[in-house]
Amino acid sequence: MSPERYKEKKPSLVTAPVAALLSFFVPGLGQIMARRVQRGLLMLGAMVTIIGLFIWRVNLLGRRVDGFWPTLSKALERNTFFISFTILAIVALWVWIVYDAVKQTRKGKQYGNAIFALILLVFFGIGWQISEIDIVKLTSDANEAWLPLSKILWPWDAAVTRSTESLEAGAEVLVDSEGPAPPKPERVEGEPYVWVEPREGELSRLDDDNNIIPGTEITVYGEGFAPETRTEIWWSDAIGNEFQPRYQGRYVSTVTDEEGNFEMTMNMPYRLVPPSARGQQIHKVIGRQVSEVGPLLPSDPLVLTIELIIETIFMGMMATLFGIVFSVPVSFLAARNLMSSSWITLLIYYITRTILNIVRAIEPLIWALIAVVWVGLGPFAGIVALTIHSIAALGKLYSESIESINPGPIEAIQATGATKLQTIMFAVVPQMIPPFVSFTIYRWDINVRMSTVIGMVGGGGIGFLLVQYIRLLEYKSAGIAVWFIALTVAILDYVSAEIRQRFV
Amino acid sequence: MLEIKNLTKVYPDGTRALKNVSFTVEDGDFLVVIGLSGSGKSTLLRCINRLIEPTEGQILLDGQDIIKADNQELRLIRRRIGMIFQHFNLVDRSSVLTNVLSGKLGYITPWASILHKFPSKVRNEALAALNKVGIADQANKRADELSGGQRQRVGIARALMQNPSMILADEPVASLDPVLAHTILGYLEDLNKETQISVLCSLHYLDLVQRYATKVIGLKDGVLVYQGDREDIREMTDEQFKEIYGEEAKRVSAGTLSGEVRE
Repeated sequence: MSPERYKEKKPSLVTAPVAALLSFFVPGLGQIMARRVQRGLLMLGAMVTIIGLFIWRVNLLGRRVDGFWPTLSKALERNTFFISFTILAIVALWVWIVYDAVKQTRKGKQYGNAIFALILLVFFGIGWQISEIDIVKLTSDANEAWLPLSKILWPWDAAVTRSTESLEAGAEVLVDSEGPAPPKPERVEGEPYVWVEPREGELSRLDDDNNIIPGTEITVYGEGFAPETRTEIWWSDAIGNEFQPRYQGRYVSTVTDEEGNFEMTMNMPYRLVPPSARGQQIHKVIGRQVSEVGPLLPSDPLVLTIELIIETIFMGMMATLFGIVFSVPVSFLAARNLMSSSWITLLIYYITRTILNIVRAIEPLIWALIAVVWVGLGPFAGIVALTIHSIAALGKLYSESIESINPGPIEAIQATGATKLQTIMFAVVPQMIPPFVSFTIYRWDINVRMSTVIGMVGGGGIGFLLVQYIRLLEYKSAGIAVWFIALTVAILDYVSAEIRQRFV
Repeated sequence: MLEIKNLTKVYPDGTRALKNVSFTVEDGDFLVVIGLSGSGKSTLLRCINRLIEPTEGQILLDGQDIIKADNQELRLIRRRIGMIFQHFNLVDRSSVLTNVLSGKLGYITPWASILHKFPSKVRNEALAALNKVGIADQANKRADELSGGQRQRVGIARALMQNPSMILADEPVASLDPVLAHTILGYLEDLNKETQISVLCSLHYLDLVQRYATKVIGLKDGVLVYQGDREDIREMTDEQFKEIYGEEAKRVSAGTLSGEVRE
């Protein structure tokens, strides 16, 4: 703060009524003419911004209505509180600014910054509306979030599986087409056996209003299965694609009696048959008993997660390595104390600094989008993206640690008659190693954490898998990935903190 | 013998730190430079081993002009001049022993020393130097683990490794309390008396100057304003001292712990 501010201010250029009038027509102009230029400009800027934002929101709220008053009244109807609050606030501010202009024409210090508190309050009010904050939603739909959340929090039953053995038999049926019905299958001694009556019919269909018209009712008979065991009914269409039909949302199934037989009825399921399908449509009804056998095995999501978390950690390591290799030379160009000897080096310093700042300002995720186009999908794209960002971030940190080395020891070593190289090795390097190690570990930490998300845009690593599972609504598999990410980051946090402590 | 003739230093920003300074240091002198902060003491000492390049004048060390020396000659001159500093200027993260060993760098082939390899003879020499200043047991500690007095002793041991014929001491006790000040200056005095190493030392307190100096020069705004020998100093009054120092001069009872706090 310059001492000027504490001096008696020069007299106002205008009288109080004129200042009030000026501020009435242009908020803040009165203050400017009273030699409170910054104050006046701030008020003018605030009012212009507030009114501009208000007009924008009113137009959004009152869409598809013509004319000023209809638009305003529709907006008022849709968000009474916001519109009336803002109008009141604008009027209050306007009056206050006029009053303030009068005050500022008086001699002596005329502060009073309560008006800026009101301006800030109006900005927060508008911000609340623009960012669509709706506290009711926090509770109204909370129960829907609970299901995925609980699966993600405890996904471990999906982490193991057993191999399965199935006992099955099928019978063919003719659907939606002319022709001889397929024969009743042959019975083979010692093997399960399924037959269906009738052996022809029509599939369920949708009418024009998307209501289901049930298909032909059929009876499925089974023999020779394991007794008193759940038996799934599967359906295989004309080209051999199997699916498990549902009835009222549940999979169709039955339970065998004590002799291993069953008998159940069902409607032929809905299956879209392509219009180009011609001739006989032979489908197949399958009875199937699935039993888990053998030891617990890691499930596919678990194995994939482990594979990709390893890939992720190494992505972070490689990106850090390349980051170090390139950022060390860059950091010398970005260190002011080394580059201030002539205007050419100073120019190089400013250019390097600017480039580093720009590159660093662009998030690794955005670099990954570019890298995916550049080198294709996969972990290498992630490494490229993280390397670019690491060079900028490490270059800045390294150069700052070069700038902050203590010149005293350098002077002392020079005074012993040491050569330049000896001076660097004995006075400069020992001072630079600790911050270098510290920043590098810190960056490695960041890179591994970043590589967990960089896969979301195709940059390889576990993020790729995580996004896939979430989009497929496989929350348990996603939960496994989330757990591994959290564990990796936690372990890394601890390790990097430990290593840094040793060196600093 | 060190002869300084018409030494002038002008910094790039136009500051004239030294104006036409001339004086002579005989072998075995304990010459103290007095003067306010900013009077040019540090610049003068650093011009002698050309840590700061002088603008004009001559600095003759045993007849050889230091200012005209090329890089190789300068390094040979520097290794004959030990230097100790107000803030010790140790490499904090290196061990005490490494700091002392670095005093020998001017004598060692560069490539071996870069790998931090020193002949065992040099290592023994370093331990002996540490022993001389009484901290041989701290050799393997990191330099920043030591107290201020111990660190300045490391600084002296580092200077000793150079087998110097002269020691430049830039306010060596300004960061230490009065008792330690006597210990450190005592080491310098012993060296000065035993081996005829001449000492150039800048000091702030009249009592210390009167106790240790055999010659005194006073600087004010870069100009040599006082020159005296041992007798002159003994008779020097607070008024004369104040003339050099301006109004800020203070006498500190450096010999007692209960002495006033330093300025």
